[in-house]
Amino acid sequence: MPMEFAYYPGCAAKQVQKEADWSARSVCEALGITLHEMPRSTCCGAVSLRETKPAFSLAVAARILSEAEEKGCDLVTVCNTCLQTLTHANYRFRTEPDILASINKVLEESGVRPYQASIKVYHLLWVITDQVDPKVLQSRIVKPLNGLQVAPFYGCHNIRPAEIFDAKAGEEADHLDRLIELLGGKPVAYDGHDKCCGFHFMLSDKQETHEMAGKNCLNAREAGADVMISPCTLCDMIMGANQGPIEATIGKKIELPELNFAQLLGLAMGIDEKDLGIKRLHVDPRPVLQAHDIL
Amino acid sequence: MSIKTYIFRVQRNTCHGDNGKVDTNWQEYIIECEETTTVLTALDDIRDHQDSTITYRQSCRSAICGSCAMKISGKTRLACKTHVGIVARSVEGKEHQVIEVAPQGNQPVLKDMAIDIAPFFDRVIKIQPFIKGGDEADTEVHQNSYDQVNHVTQCIMCGCCYSECTVAEVSPEYIGPAALAKAFRFVSDPREGCKTARLKELSEDHMMWSCSRCAMCVEACPKDVAPMEAIVKLRTRGIQKGFTNTTGAKHALAFHEDITSRGDLNEFSVMMRTIGIFGTMGEIPTALHLLKKGKIPSPIPHKAEGIEEVRKMYDILEKNPLDVETKAKEVEPE
Repeated sequence: MPMEFAYYPGCAAKQVQKEADWSARSVCEALGITLHEMPRSTCCGAVSLRETKPAFSLAVAARILSEAEEKGCDLVTVCNTCLQTLTHANYRFRTEPDILASINKVLEESGVRPYQASIKVYHLLWVITDQVDPKVLQSRIVKPLNGLQVAPFYGCHNIRPAEIFDAKAGEEADHLDRLIELLGGKPVAYDGHDKCCGFHFMLSDKQETHEMAGKNCLNAREAGADVMISPCTLCDMIMGANQGPIEATIGKKIELPELNFAQLLGLAMGIDEKDLGIKRLHVDPRPVLQAHDIL
Repeated sequence: MSIKTYIFRVQRNTCHGDNGKVDTNWQEYIIECEETTTVLTALDDIRDHQDSTITYRQSCRSAICGSCAMKISGKTRLACKTHVGIVARSVEGKEHQVIEVAPQGNQPVLKDMAIDIAPFFDRVIKIQPFIKGGDEADTEVHQNSYDQVNHVTQCIMCGCCYSECTVAEVSPEYIGPAALAKAFRFVSDPREGCKTARLKELSEDHMMWSCSRCAMCVEACPKDVAPMEAIVKLRTRGIQKGFTNTTGAKHALAFHEDITSRGDLNEFSVMMRTIGIFGTMGEIPTALHLLKKGKIPSPIPHKAEGIEEVRKMYDILEKNPLDVETKAKEVEPE
């Protein structure tokens, strides 16, 4: 069955963490997953718009969900916060018909197609682990991870609050671990796999952000991780791109390569590292990947 | 229901006087019980028949008193509300499933699972958990006045949320989820006379804007208080009262500006608008670090098609505000 989704990369993948977007597209192309662009979509508002303009945040989410619904597809994203924001709105639209009706009235008055609350919101990681046939995926793995020790970092907004999500969430979440095993790697168990990277308060509480992210990375490293992967462009930005400034704050070396899950998946599928933006990573994973014959 | 054999792996802690140094080791006990036996009953059994020195707090056995909160198989839970079968984990090399029991996190440990709860209550007391008189006290209380208060009054002060709080783990100054949920209870109470003054205090450092929005407290709470949801609502009320001169509020306020102007968040200018020119200058080393890998975004983000629709939605809702706040669910007896 052909798989088609409306693709919502989110602001971070469009502007800063472009490698996550490139990798998602490359992996989907190789797996025969069609991604439809969403040219009308705006920023989802993240956790912030719900605080400043609660009703407007639902209207913004409804307009995005409506664009996907009009294409007849479920929505897929590569950002945990977009996932949680849109899922939270969708959960409310599905469970509170009065809210949906009043938001739809605003949409209609603004010339936007009303949202019927008929679609689901997925993370690309869930699509790959729960919807793609594992045998098909396995047949595409040409560069297995050969026992590479991979620390899964789920990211808060992929798994909490558990009740809103259409996939295994909370303590039950295991999709990242399953993916690592499927690719021939060893998932590393460590304190921090379901904790916070601190992205959403990095400007107001920078010291705390660096300490929590640093602690998670160090715990993973001490548990034997060769690399860390995350399904979230915002976690990537902190745990990967900001690892240097974090090391400066905590006064300890971490040097743990952090990749977006789609980058590691792409490498295992033999996709050219240029298409996956491996060079854009701050901590170079190539030495350890070469040592495991993945590159 | 059949009887099964389990291994209880219990963290034994001994605190040495005032210096706070804690000796920690693990001890294993084998116990036979049903899947639906509570962890508390199982611990009582171990204490009564195997080792009388195991120390933990317990009282009501009905998820009301909050005394028996402890880390059970990695997460903080009420021992009296948690079935053994739910938290038993298979461990390589172990013949039976294992239940790991340890004290709450983020709190000073006294003995085994007993922690010093005083620092937790100091935080709750700091928000002044009582109705204060003042100009804003309503004399009329409507039927729906407690829609917002109800879910936070279910809090039993067990400390599960604080134990799991990812910010408390790195910041002893942070007021924490339970205290903030309690603060929301008073900000929302129609009888409260000092709502604005409370929001002003809550806008200070290490208070409501220092939540990382990780939602760990929502998962940990055994009483469905959802502290983070209360924190989100506190922030909304604070901004509505004009307490916008904080980094957290300024950052939050950047979003609707960008969404109504081009559609996407302007990641180039958001830092400047949040922490100002001097704050941004302090971030130059980080900016240069990111620049090395081409991670400085374009100053002009992509413009969404049909952006005028978004502006119209915004204008409609500014003219005719819509109440979309979640309301407390009817409390079901447990």
